[in-house]
Amino acid sequence: MTLGAPAEHHGMFHEAAFYSSDAEFLGVVVPFLQGGVETGVPTVVALGEQNTELVRSAMPDISHLSFMHDQYVRPASVIKSLQQLLTGHLSEGARQIRILGEVPQPGVGVPWEWWARYEATVNHAFDDFPLWALCPYDMRITSGEVLDDVAQTHPYLASVDGGHVINDRYISPEVFLTQPRPTHPDPLEAAPPLIDLVDPMPLTARQAIRAVSPTTRLTATDVEGLVVAVCEAVTNAICHGRPPVQLRLWSSSDRIVVTVTDHGAGPTDPFAGLLPAVPAPRGGLGLWLTHQLCSLVTLDKFKEGFTIRLIAGKPAATPH
Amino acid sequence: MIADARGLGLHDHVCWAYDDLDDFHCRVREFLAEGLGLGQRVWYVAPGDVEALADDLRDLDGMDLALRVGAAQVVSVDTAYPAGTVIDPAAQVQAFAMAATQAVRAGFTGLRVAADTTPLVRTPQQLDAFARYECLVDRCIASQPLSGMCAYNRAELGEDVIAQLACLHPNVNGGTAQFRLHASHHATASLNGELDMTTVELLSLALQRADLQPSGGELVIDAAGLTYIDHRALLMLAEHTRRADATIVLRTAWPGAASLVDLLDLEQVRVELSE
Repeated sequence: MTLGAPAEHHGMFHEAAFYSSDAEFLGVVVPFLQGGVETGVPTVVALGEQNTELVRSAMPDISHLSFMHDQYVRPASVIKSLQQLLTGHLSEGARQIRILGEVPQPGVGVPWEWWARYEATVNHAFDDFPLWALCPYDMRITSGEVLDDVAQTHPYLASVDGGHVINDRYISPEVFLTQPRPTHPDPLEAAPPLIDLVDPMPLTARQAIRAVSPTTRLTATDVEGLVVAVCEAVTNAICHGRPPVQLRLWSSSDRIVVTVTDHGAGPTDPFAGLLPAVPAPRGGLGLWLTHQLCSLVTLDKFKEGFTIRLIAGKPAATPH
Repeated sequence: MIADARGLGLHDHVCWAYDDLDDFHCRVREFLAEGLGLGQRVWYVAPGDVEALADDLRDLDGMDLALRVGAAQVVSVDTAYPAGTVIDPAAQVQAFAMAATQAVRAGFTGLRVAADTTPLVRTPQQLDAFARYECLVDRCIASQPLSGMCAYNRAELGEDVIAQLACLHPNVNGGTAQFRLHASHHATASLNGELDMTTVELLSLALQRADLQPSGGELVIDAAGLTYIDHRALLMLAEHTRRADATIVLRTAWPGAASLVDLLDLEQVRVELSE
């Protein structure tokens, strides 16, 4: 038995809501949360600071809500931890789990590319879970590019008047993830790269990053996370791509940006990077690790090849 | 990594890949002359006639006398190991351990051996047996008054064979081993250097040959000199440990190891951060 709007729905009910004021936001999310509490299902709130405060002040009783903070750092990490959370609730007998999740976006200064892939991927990753996920988007700060992606990745829409409708702009994640997407180079890439290597071996790639890292304020963990990620990208390019492989590196005090380009077609698995390939053929685990260890990973397929962009430190927001 | 054969101690085990005989002779002379100076008995084991081998050393300070009184001894590989010999790893190590003991009983501080064993690794069977011997003798060297330099002709054997042998030594000359798996005083073994996609096959062979035995259900790896290990190598270590029905403890200062083990949910691997 499922509860609330998705009464006849099996599996994940992935819903977006667009609001233009605090009142509209609360008009959508309070009934969602209240319904979860009243029906006794695990109800999780993962919002930014401001909206968390709105919810805390608007809900008559928050004792049955689980508040999660700083969850949305890396999409692949969110998927991994949500899988554990959902599996745990199901093993305890939950009939449904509700999650109110605010995905980071350029409107709050965060790059969008991998979160767009996240919004598509969760439809596949959580398809077997009785999950009702509501993703509110603030129309005051959300760009047209982001709104288009949200419209194509949410099969259902919640309206501010309490309605729930099928979204006819939704397309399957497999289609969404294989269609061409706009590329947003990091602003550092406007200058010539600090390091430019052709056909580097993984060892050379490691040496390049470690040579540059002392000029930055990055922690050893961030630097070595990037070292692992770049080695995996170079390894994938050598093993699965086509030569020549080009590694370019830019850095500033707060970040290192590395692109690895080869002339192959890039990963064929549409979910590559956000979900580990199981079993891991053709480098699926390596690409997933890059998404777990960097502060941003973007994948760009273009006519002549494939570029993976890996960033440690604070990435620049996508222009909006 | 070392650039010459000087300054090595009582328990050193060096792999020296040489490209020409002049280089080899130069390192043997450095290594054995220092051994004599440290009061060790020195052995020179190489292909060729024993008189010619003795002549390689004779002009070194005190060597002529040492050769006459048995402080320095020369053995021809051609005589001691007929062509095609597949070494018996355990018996060979026992022989060296006994020779080290005898050297000490005779008043020396230990035994130092410089050997060109290229003829003993020419076939795959010879190579596999000799690599297993290298692992065993490395443990023996770590605990006995014994030191050794294992020289191999890189031009004849090729980079791949050199890499298989070099990675089983604590000391190697330039560029022959990206990682090293060898004996440790404080742990089951030491693992140093960098492990990535280029070393997958080498690590697999090294683990088979080292045949590490868990103690108290644990394989403790001193990885203080480890500066990179990728998920392929970690998964291989985990699988190796699972087959041994043990847990692996990786003591390393490299911060990436703990992150990877956590992400991969490797229950057989525990990372202990060392300084």
